[in-house]
Amino acid sequence: MIPNSKLDPRTKLAMVMSLSSMGILMNDIGIMLGIFCITIIILKLLKVSLLKILIKLKRILYMVVVLVIIQSIFVKGGNPILELGSLTVISDLGLQKSAAFLLRIGIVIASASILTTASYRDIVQGLVQWKMPYEIAFMVSVAIRFLPTFMEEFRDASVALQLRGVDFEKIPFRKKLTVYSYLFFPVVSNAILKAQELSIAMEARAFRAYPFRTSYLVLKMKPLDYIITTVSFITAVTGITWYYI
Amino acid sequence: MIRAIELNKISFSYKENQRLFKDLSLTVYDGEITVISGSNGSGKTTLGKLMMGIIKPEEGSITLFGKESSKMNLGQRGQQIGYLFQDPARQLFASTVYKELSFILELKGYDETMIQEQVSKMLDIFQIGYLKDMCPFYLSGGEKQRLALAAVLINQPKYLILDEPTTSLDPKRKQILSDILKQYREEGKGIMLITHDEPFALEHGQRVIEIEGGMITYDSKFEA
Repeated sequence: MIPNSKLDPRTKLAMVMSLSSMGILMNDIGIMLGIFCITIIILKLLKVSLLKILIKLKRILYMVVVLVIIQSIFVKGGNPILELGSLTVISDLGLQKSAAFLLRIGIVIASASILTTASYRDIVQGLVQWKMPYEIAFMVSVAIRFLPTFMEEFRDASVALQLRGVDFEKIPFRKKLTVYSYLFFPVVSNAILKAQELSIAMEARAFRAYPFRTSYLVLKMKPLDYIITTVSFITAVTGITWYYI
Repeated sequence: MIRAIELNKISFSYKENQRLFKDLSLTVYDGEITVISGSNGSGKTTLGKLMMGIIKPEEGSITLFGKESSKMNLGQRGQQIGYLFQDPARQLFASTVYKELSFILELKGYDETMIQEQVSKMLDIFQIGYLKDMCPFYLSGGEKQRLALAAVLINQPKYLILDEPTTSLDPKRKQILSDILKQYREEGKGIMLITHDEPFALEHGQRVIEIEGGMITYDSKFEA
């Protein structure tokens, strides 16, 4: 096992960047499958619960399946597998493209899950020590901090709307879009209100009053961090270069 | 009297080893105002949420008007029982006050004249007509409270659960709420009031239930 809590957040960021870059830039299914397997092994070594990730993704799983089917239908060319009259519904090329899409999404989500093992404060500190301007790192931290809140607000809004007597199962399809617009409205409005309050609070606490900031928390890379970071970047650069040459 | 909501030996805990309710049984009836009181953290709001199916009991069953609650979805429960959240802002969705009241009726397929009539009635009763073109998110706490309650009542539920309905209401608006509750009771409908507001509870409660540490410590009926 990798001593998860001991790993520097920058090491985790390096792994995420390398894995997701390879997943996005390489189109070969075999290679993508390999990257996906490596990502899963890393998650297991970091003791990340794959079941919990799957449960969290349950809501978007339906959307991914629909996208896979649409992709396989609209890709032209290849040998037809299922035809309706003169129209090719599913072809081998379409299935191949869908599988590649699915793997790519899988790699991005699974690799991003590595970051769930680090606290958002540590990640921000890691970015700052990588010389990222504090303002940008702070924006990233705010986004990470508020994402679960917005997800929760969306769930709450969905419950509250149903309690107003809206039976999602019985709403006709054409009215479903209207219902979803009612769900997004409070979440977006609350996000704007929260942003306003946060900006006032930041001003009140003299954000950017001085050109430089010091931090009580200072991260220190250990030999294992250097090894993992180096291996991650070298593998990604070599792999992508080899793939395109 | 018709049994509106029945809790049969329900158990619930937010955290492991911290059980809030254990084998709790309680029945609230239609045509009666039941007040649930108790100190902070005693489980009043949790009880309301369990009744609505927002959270599910670990053990036991809940029936709404004789029908097993677990066999109904949230929308079906919401059609029978109107629920006012402790924070009314949580149940506002539309871009204007008028739309907030009308959109549920539109979704249900009511005709335009009927919708206008119903919405105007609610705007008048709750004295929020002057706000009808305002965005609900910019209303004051009391205005939001009145709008949320109007939005619940426009659905004409069979039973009402109101969680701290008098919070942020001034004496005049509290009186309006009192009148509405009395009218609702006269129509033979039941209400469950979760409140800290003792004078309001004593004015309306025909049955008062006190909860402490997830247990019913007092349950008595009297004429309001």
